[in-house]
Amino acid sequence: MAESASALRAPARPVFPAPRQGLLREIWKSRWAYLFISPFYILFAVFFLYPLLMSIYLSLTEWSGLGPIKFVGLANFQRLLDDRVFWQSMQNGVILFFMYVPLQTFLALVLAVVLNSRRVRGFQLFRTLIFMPYITNKVAAGFAFRLLLTKNNGLVNLFLGLFGIAAVPWLEDIWWARVSLCLLIIWAWLGYNMVIMLAGLQTIPSELNEAALIDGASPVQAFLHITIPLMRPVILFCVVLSTMGSFDLFAETRSLAGGTGAGPMNATLTPIVDIFNMAFGNLRLGSASAMSYVYFAVIFILTLLQVRYFGREES
Amino acid sequence: MSRKSVFTYLTVVLMLSTLILGACAQPATPAAPQIIKETVVVEKPVDKVVEKIVTATPAPKPTAAPKPKGKITVWMWKATQDSIVNPGVVKDFNAEYPDVQVEWVTYNPQDVYQKLPLALSAGTGAPDVAYVEDSHVTKYVYLGGLADLTDKVKPYLDKMNQYKWAAVMKDGKYYGMPMDSGPVVLYYRRDVFKKAELADDPDGVGKLVATWDDYLQTCKTIKQKTGLNCFSSNKANNYGRLYEMMLWQQGMGYYNDKGEVTVDSADNIATLEKLGEFWKGNLVSDEQDWTDNWYADFASLDKPVASLVEAAWMGVFLKSWIAPGTGGKWGVTLMPAMKAGQVRASNDGGSGFVIPEQSKNKDAAWAFIEFVCARERSANKFFAAGDIFPSFEPAYNDPLYIEPDTFFGGQVTRKMYTDVVPKIPKGYIYGQYYQEMNGYVSTAIQKYATGKMSAADALKEAATAIRKQTGLK
Repeated sequence: MAESASALRAPARPVFPAPRQGLLREIWKSRWAYLFISPFYILFAVFFLYPLLMSIYLSLTEWSGLGPIKFVGLANFQRLLDDRVFWQSMQNGVILFFMYVPLQTFLALVLAVVLNSRRVRGFQLFRTLIFMPYITNKVAAGFAFRLLLTKNNGLVNLFLGLFGIAAVPWLEDIWWARVSLCLLIIWAWLGYNMVIMLAGLQTIPSELNEAALIDGASPVQAFLHITIPLMRPVILFCVVLSTMGSFDLFAETRSLAGGTGAGPMNATLTPIVDIFNMAFGNLRLGSASAMSYVYFAVIFILTLLQVRYFGREES
Repeated sequence: MSRKSVFTYLTVVLMLSTLILGACAQPATPAAPQIIKETVVVEKPVDKVVEKIVTATPAPKPTAAPKPKGKITVWMWKATQDSIVNPGVVKDFNAEYPDVQVEWVTYNPQDVYQKLPLALSAGTGAPDVAYVEDSHVTKYVYLGGLADLTDKVKPYLDKMNQYKWAAVMKDGKYYGMPMDSGPVVLYYRRDVFKKAELADDPDGVGKLVATWDDYLQTCKTIKQKTGLNCFSSNKANNYGRLYEMMLWQQGMGYYNDKGEVTVDSADNIATLEKLGEFWKGNLVSDEQDWTDNWYADFASLDKPVASLVEAAWMGVFLKSWIAPGTGGKWGVTLMPAMKAGQVRASNDGGSGFVIPEQSKNKDAAWAFIEFVCARERSANKFFAAGDIFPSFEPAYNDPLYIEPDTFFGGQVTRKMYTDVVPKIPKGYIYGQYYQEMNGYVSTAIQKYATGKMSAADALKEAATAIRKQTGLK
């Protein structure tokens, strides 16, 4: 009885034998949809999933990229425990974070608020000008900054010299090198963050601000007590992105520092540059894979903490 | 099929084919050649020099086997490429091997070091011939993927500078062919020495800098009498080149014959401290190598740096693009010895050719390499054009080498290089792990130079890290 009933429900002219039941039938029903989304997933699997899984395997081996893969168990991770340079690079990520993220986020928010109000003349022009550094080539920008920041006869020091300030060792001192890098980053990324903030500001109804101003609040008070709390998710987004960014810096550090991109005494070495040098400079893919996973774990925990701490809804 | 499903079907086909075609598109021929800060070919009467060479050397040896043919891709830096192409070495090559076409791809060294290992690992994308520095080639020899050239280089084993072979040898087999060497000498400014009331002829200056201690004294005198710096040695961004030259001249380096790490040995520490005396005495300029200010220090007419310890290839750089306006003001002498009576010769740089195993035209590739490196005529042509010092010793019997050079006040500089070359000791600097070792040691030097750590502590830290990472003792 059931058989004849299902036979009646089967498609009249199947293209080829269609599955009759369950999950497979559901998938077959949406076969065009799957076909359309498959390119992304194929690319994802090949360029993202496969390397991800392969790296886990490689982190337990020693391999130069060619020749036999030698299994070494957890030796790479053990070695990583007292790898000063790697932990220096992680430390640099944290230091750089505190040096530029608060400043950049704050500036981006303030600029976004100022340029959001139609009262500023030429606000479109300012927005464009501030955004433009983001689309320049970061490598070229790094080289340009390097020329400007040369200690003897660099334009910046020459300019400071006019005011009697002694030549600053921008790229020769551990802390000044970090300051130089932060200057480059802020110059390049401020516009990007500002645009994100601007988008966020659009979601805040202007009546709230107007009401506050009518009730006697100063613009600063309105900013602090209305804009900022409502912008919380956007600010969190920018901060999380910047956190990952501060560990991820590659093009900027390499072109600013020269050589293998470490800066004086590894002052501006970031984890990604260190991993890159280990993998493609020293040809140690096993160590580099282990480093990538440790790095991933640290970033993951940091981001989790940030979201927990910042993302709490205000009561 | 209904209209709707035809449309859907076509859209899918279109999308998939775009995707597939996009994925399959071969990358365009390697990135546009980058102009690097390398030399412009010297404005000198190359033809006149070439004439002399032609009469001096015998005709090329005849080959019995059928001549190789086909196209070969050569990866090379611009300066070396110019020194081979401009004086007609490639033309000579094609005269003897008319069926081989050479396709040049100009890369700067950093690009070669990123692209070559990837191409070797991937099994495709490597050229037929690659020009690689000795400092990096050993890493690729051990990586694998290079053709074994032992049989081909056999006739030349005793004709090239002996110390060069170590870089391309593994387990008794040879995987590369030396092209040029970097014998180290001391370049000095005659006008500065004169101003400091010191001897300014090469022999006189040679005595003044007989040892590093003597050199230190001379620098103090120069600083006192003229206020000028002795040489440039950056502290915070030091990459260890001078330190390596000082180790090499003593027959030492980063490791020893047993393969043990010697970065923190007593001798290595003492050598670093010797270099440190120049920093402590405030006798050196702080300019970073290969920056505009560093060049300006050489080119300056009134406030130059007094000297420079560097390899032979620096000579033509000074002449052609760094300090062309200072002709006649320079001299060359032997570099200082570490202690009286010791070796006054070292090496910095030097390169050679390799043939990746995946090359489809190895015979033609070898024909090219042999012609450029192991023929007196070719070697002397590229030497005359770019001061790239050939490793091929038979080439030194040529009037070219006893010509005076007006840039160096009429001195016969080439003879100085050929005198230095046989004295260069076996090197323990370059090798399979050079990049890592140089990286850690550079950081140690930076920490010591900026006063953050003692030489012993800094080198010990570097040595520990190197031992851990490479597994060496």
